[in-house]
Amino acid sequence: MSNSVISVISRFLEEYTTTTPNKLKVVDAYLLYILLTGALQFLYCLLVGTFPFNSFLSGFISCVGSFILGVCLRIQINPQNKGDFLSISPERAFADFLFAHTVLHLVVMNFIG
Amino acid sequence: MDPFRLLGLFFLGLVLGGAQAVTPSHYLSQSDVARLQNLLGRPFSDLESAYYSVVGLSKIEAAVPDHKEVCQFLKSQLDPTSVDSLFFAAETSQALSGCEIPVSNETRDILLAVVSEDSSMTQIHRAVSALSSLGLPLASQEVVGALTARINKEDNVVAITLALQTASRLSQQAELGGILEEIEDLTARLDDLGGVYLQFEEGLEATALFVTAAYALSDHMDIEPPFKEDQVIQLVNSIFSKKSWDSLAEAFSVATAAAALSNNRFHVPVLVNTRGPATVSHSQPTLQLLVTDVLSRPLRSASVLLESAHAVPSKSVVLSQAPFILKDDVFELNFMAKQPASGYYQFSVAVTGDSRLVANQVELKVKVSTEVAVTNMDLSVVDKDQSIGTKTTRVDYPSKAKSSFTADSHQNFAMSFQLVDVNTGLELIPHQTFVRLHNHKTGQEVVFVAEPDSKNQYKFELDTAERKSEFDSTSGTYSLYLIVGDATLENPILWNVADVVLKFAEEEAPATIQSKTLYIPKPEIQHLFREPEKKPPTVVSNTFTGLVLSPLLLLLILWLKLGANISNFSFSPSTILFHGGHAALLGLLYVYWTHLNMFQTLKYLAIVGGVTFLAGNRMLAQKAVKRIAAEQSSRLAKYRSLR
Repeated sequence: MSNSVISVISRFLEEYTTTTPNKLKVVDAYLLYILLTGALQFLYCLLVGTFPFNSFLSGFISCVGSFILGVCLRIQINPQNKGDFLSISPERAFADFLFAHTVLHLVVMNFIG
Repeated sequence: MDPFRLLGLFFLGLVLGGAQAVTPSHYLSQSDVARLQNLLGRPFSDLESAYYSVVGLSKIEAAVPDHKEVCQFLKSQLDPTSVDSLFFAAETSQALSGCEIPVSNETRDILLAVVSEDSSMTQIHRAVSALSSLGLPLASQEVVGALTARINKEDNVVAITLALQTASRLSQQAELGGILEEIEDLTARLDDLGGVYLQFEEGLEATALFVTAAYALSDHMDIEPPFKEDQVIQLVNSIFSKKSWDSLAEAFSVATAAAALSNNRFHVPVLVNTRGPATVSHSQPTLQLLVTDVLSRPLRSASVLLESAHAVPSKSVVLSQAPFILKDDVFELNFMAKQPASGYYQFSVAVTGDSRLVANQVELKVKVSTEVAVTNMDLSVVDKDQSIGTKTTRVDYPSKAKSSFTADSHQNFAMSFQLVDVNTGLELIPHQTFVRLHNHKTGQEVVFVAEPDSKNQYKFELDTAERKSEFDSTSGTYSLYLIVGDATLENPILWNVADVVLKFAEEEAPATIQSKTLYIPKPEIQHLFREPEKKPPTVVSNTFTGLVLSPLLLLLILWLKLGANISNFSFSPSTILFHGGHAALLGLLYVYWTHLNMFQTLKYLAIVGGVTFLAGNRMLAQKAVKRIAAEQSSRLAKYRSLR
């Protein structure tokens, strides 16, 4: 059982390292970073308390929003999905990503207090 | 103020309080009559004032001084060519005895010439009155014609009143019916003020002269004037409510109206007042009524009957159909013969004996007062634990207990007494029964209400421990007073019964006098901010700040490992502008957090964002062109290699 899990995981990692384009790996690293940051904030909230509640919310929302935008970017620039996004070039996707980020963080900053 | 006026006001209050029907509340009291007489009796210097003075005085049946001298004055002042002068002199001479004004034929012609519809109403009235007073013949029917014509021209209250007055001097054979009807028309013009007063808006004089003229003509014709009983009373109220008269003419009009209302063939308003306060008691057992006309002259011929007397709260009839007996112009009734209990009684009194009487049903409120005595006054000090073995001390009114009483916190001070009616021996429950304790030293006083028990025995018990706060815990000698009072008691009691020494358990400092602290400023009210939340220790927050930032390190490591680089970075202006703009946007968001508000931020955001957008568009377009070109070339290469 455990053997098979390990083998599945190792197979998965191998597949990932070999077949995924470098660009997507860069985005994946970014997504991991966002994920960990959000998880740590949540951990703080659980352990210490929610005291500056608006600050916590804005930080957490920033993480969640960024993660979603990151995932969207990854989907759009993935060459395997090219057929689904014919009208959207990778540059367009990146510009959208930046624009959405600006709006998101305007809201986050408004919320931070 | 004289007692009669006070009485009048007192009755005004009583009458207005209880009665539904209108009752005469204003009349000329004896002092009012005296003042009116005084005003009319002033020395006069011309014929007009002589007329007002002499005729006015004769109307209220007051003596006119020195008839001969007045007669001489009239003759010396008379102008035989003036209608006014003739009118005043002739009318005045009528009120004097043995005074005849000599008249010539010319004078008569002058007067007769005035009687036509071209003269004013005043002139006609004066001429006709003068002719009538001088005993000269005149054609009544012609006068009626002139009056009727003038009434149509001068349709005002004063003129019509003069017409009525003039008509009363004419022969009864003349056709006076049309003029008599004017009384009814004028009555309809009277203004009703609150159902109490009825008057012309022209004023008191017009109203009073109208009443005089109406009764003069009605008496002359022997036809009852068309006044309802209420209207007569309302007219009385409005004519006699004014007690200080502005002019001789006004005083004259009131005097003539008073004469008309007290002596005519149809309506004589009756005024029923008590002599002194409306109170009877054992020392003053008779109720004395003054039954008068509007000039305060007693109506001796009337008979006064008490229809019923009932107690005010219980409505039980105490006495009915009892006649009042006339004695020296005062109607008396011995009400105490019925032994009524003390309190208030409603009397219904009827005045009869003359069909002309108006307002002859009167409601009176009469007080029966009595005297009270305090009996069986027992004082004692009772131990709270054992109620036996107490020694009671009896004190008799009005002496004071010889020894003082001492009560400490384990004892009660007790007091019991009875209140009885001296005259009947029955127990009384007065409205006010108080026990007052007065501290000699501090001047402080504490008052308690003594309540009767079911046997009408008053008991007052002072629990020194319980009542401590009311005495501010101030021990000391208190004077004990009993206060008994009631509106129906003739002898209210204030009796210093005894001295009581009260000892309270702990001698607290007497509470600082409140009034001193009442006027100093109150402590300032500080705004309370919300308590800040408890913050976690700095170590914890710093640790987590580090932890939250650590994934950034991981990201950089991963990117380095993946071989991300900036080798593709070209230094074209659009690229620099785009990256600069993007950095500026991030900076702006930071400044928004620290300094700016939303609107300022949006303004800057529009500028920076616009520039960044244009630069980004250009840069990415170039990149796209490059990518597409590379793709095409690689595809071309593939194609070629395939071939």
